[in-house]
Amino acid sequence: MKLELQKGSRSRILAALLFIIMTVFAVRLFYLQIIQGDYYKSLANDEQIKIWDLPSKRGLIYALDGDKPVQLVMNETIYTVFADPQTISDDSKIIDAVRRIAGGNARENLQALLDKKESRYQVLATKLTRVQADMIKAEGLRGIGFKELSQRVYPEGSLAAQTLGFINFEGKGQYGIEAALNDRLVGKKGVLKTVTDVSDVPLTIGDRNITVPAVNGDNIVLSIDRNVQSYAEKALSDGLKRTGATNGSVLIMDPQTGKIKALANLPSYNPAEFNKVENAADFNNATISTPYEPGSVIKTLTIAAGIEKGVITPDSTYVNTDFIKVEDRTISNATKGQTGTITMQRALNWSLNTGMVTIAQRLGDGSTINRQARDTMYDFFYNKFGLGKNTGIELSGEARGAVVSPDEQEGNAVRYSNMSFGQGMNVTMVQVAGAFSSIVNGGTYYKPTVIDGVLGADGKIDRVTPQPERTVISQSTSSQVKEMHRVARSTFYSGVDKQGYTIGGKTGTSETIENGRYVDNQTIGSYVGFGGTDKPVYVIMVQVSGKNQPMQGARHALPIFTDISNWMIDYLKLQPKG
Amino acid sequence: MSYQSTNTFSSRRQQSWSRNQNTTKFISSVKLGPVAHTVLVALMITVLGLIYLTQATRATSYDYESQRIDSQIADLNTKKSDLEVESARLTALETVKNSAVAKELTVPVSTEFVR
Repeated sequence: MKLELQKGSRSRILAALLFIIMTVFAVRLFYLQIIQGDYYKSLANDEQIKIWDLPSKRGLIYALDGDKPVQLVMNETIYTVFADPQTISDDSKIIDAVRRIAGGNARENLQALLDKKESRYQVLATKLTRVQADMIKAEGLRGIGFKELSQRVYPEGSLAAQTLGFINFEGKGQYGIEAALNDRLVGKKGVLKTVTDVSDVPLTIGDRNITVPAVNGDNIVLSIDRNVQSYAEKALSDGLKRTGATNGSVLIMDPQTGKIKALANLPSYNPAEFNKVENAADFNNATISTPYEPGSVIKTLTIAAGIEKGVITPDSTYVNTDFIKVEDRTISNATKGQTGTITMQRALNWSLNTGMVTIAQRLGDGSTINRQARDTMYDFFYNKFGLGKNTGIELSGEARGAVVSPDEQEGNAVRYSNMSFGQGMNVTMVQVAGAFSSIVNGGTYYKPTVIDGVLGADGKIDRVTPQPERTVISQSTSSQVKEMHRVARSTFYSGVDKQGYTIGGKTGTSETIENGRYVDNQTIGSYVGFGGTDKPVYVIMVQVSGKNQPMQGARHALPIFTDISNWMIDYLKLQPKG
Repeated sequence: MSYQSTNTFSSRRQQSWSRNQNTTKFISSVKLGPVAHTVLVALMITVLGLIYLTQATRATSYDYESQRIDSQIADLNTKKSDLEVESARLTALETVKNSAVAKELTVPVSTEFVR
């Protein structure tokens, strides 16, 4: 041993020491990298790899201006300004800048907020525009941060508010198209999984980075024409002022496609300030979500069914005594005096209930509204014309209404006699307008729709082609009913329409039920009609009502129709016949 | 660096060389010891490490540049959206109706159609 030390002891000792140290290192590395490898890899990944959601942009909503899409709902970036009270350096400078630039969007007690030194986050101002945020940034204030948020903006204000709906504070669509098509509008979030540096800047190193791009929501183009919508709202507003009614709705539809051009409702609201609305009923689109007893506008459907089944023609006659007995009930006309043997045309002109009950009887054995008559009426009203069931319109909150089936105990002869002139059933305006359109367009039912298509990245609209759902009556029946309504309108109101056009329609005055009983001093006035030249190009339905207000179709709803109809003729540049 | 030739004969059977192959081998006159070897190896490893670090840093600098450009794109997109909103507000029906030009317009007394 002594000899070895003498010959090279230092080298050997050094080698031995190095060997021992290296062995310790190797063992330690083996322990860290092999035995504890997964654990430390997981710790490193947690520290270095970040996963972020890539937010998708909510789709915009467009209306049409003729054929051109125009924005109704857009997204705007707004900014929240916040302070870290522990790092700010000059309170007075911050307060001065925020108050001066943010104005009314600044919070009131700024000094108190900045004095909360235990806090790291205090909001100083909200809903700032980009310009305001840039101005505050330019002040170079220490301890001030900005948070970007997206909010919906409505360049056209309250136009078509109930059709659009709004986005609530949780970012979810409420009412209208925003709720009905929320999934399509919201798009799909993306994911970014990446290695980052200490400042969370994504780095491309490594092979575990994953990027799934966000898919933005669809940009929906409504069939609503903003000019038609605007005029409908104005005409309705003027009409309510004239009549004193508090509530009203207008629906304008292209009968050849089922595409809706306007849905106006009053009272209305501004979707940008939905939180200020006091009555939640203002959010409802009454044209689709408020069923009511439609009254005499349903006579159009009864006459169409009668002609289609061959039991009447416009010239068919019956004896009108202003009263007709159905089982133990006596039904009377609202307008009396047209007694004697009269035609169905005259019954329509004067909106006589007895004429409609007569048609219902003739759909059966001629003297009673038997099961065959009720089945036929139900087939037309429910199956063909789509009353009492959802139309499938792309708006939230559509109500089904109710048409009692003959299979039910309540579906008796008295019920169906009432249904022949629009009582004893609950339907929505969109159901009536859809049915009326199918009658005047040649007999084809189109599903009412508010969607024109989707706006592509190239700025072109990928249009939805309306598909006819079913044939409800023949072309011949359609022509006869159309002509009857033209005559009915021209008999009393020929002077109000522009000359050279085919305009027709039907009034309706509906009783309302309070506490289970019909009340006399509160009625709903309706009018549904069409206009055009060789073929109808628009169907307009108007409804006006109010608490304790006796509204009538001819007196209160018809003038609004006339106003819009005459405007539509000019707007659509229809050339007169003859 | 110089070399010296060695002509020492040795039997081919003791060698692995084949016929017509050069049987002269050169041996460097510079002798490198184990420490020099170690230093050289360490230097090579260091150089390789530096090259790796240079490349990795360069890749990372591209990431920062990419991030900066992405931020610019996002900022410009935000500005574009804001301008579109402003444009839509300026062309909104209410704005047009209340414009000075619109207020000067009058309703035609009658409309004639040319056939």
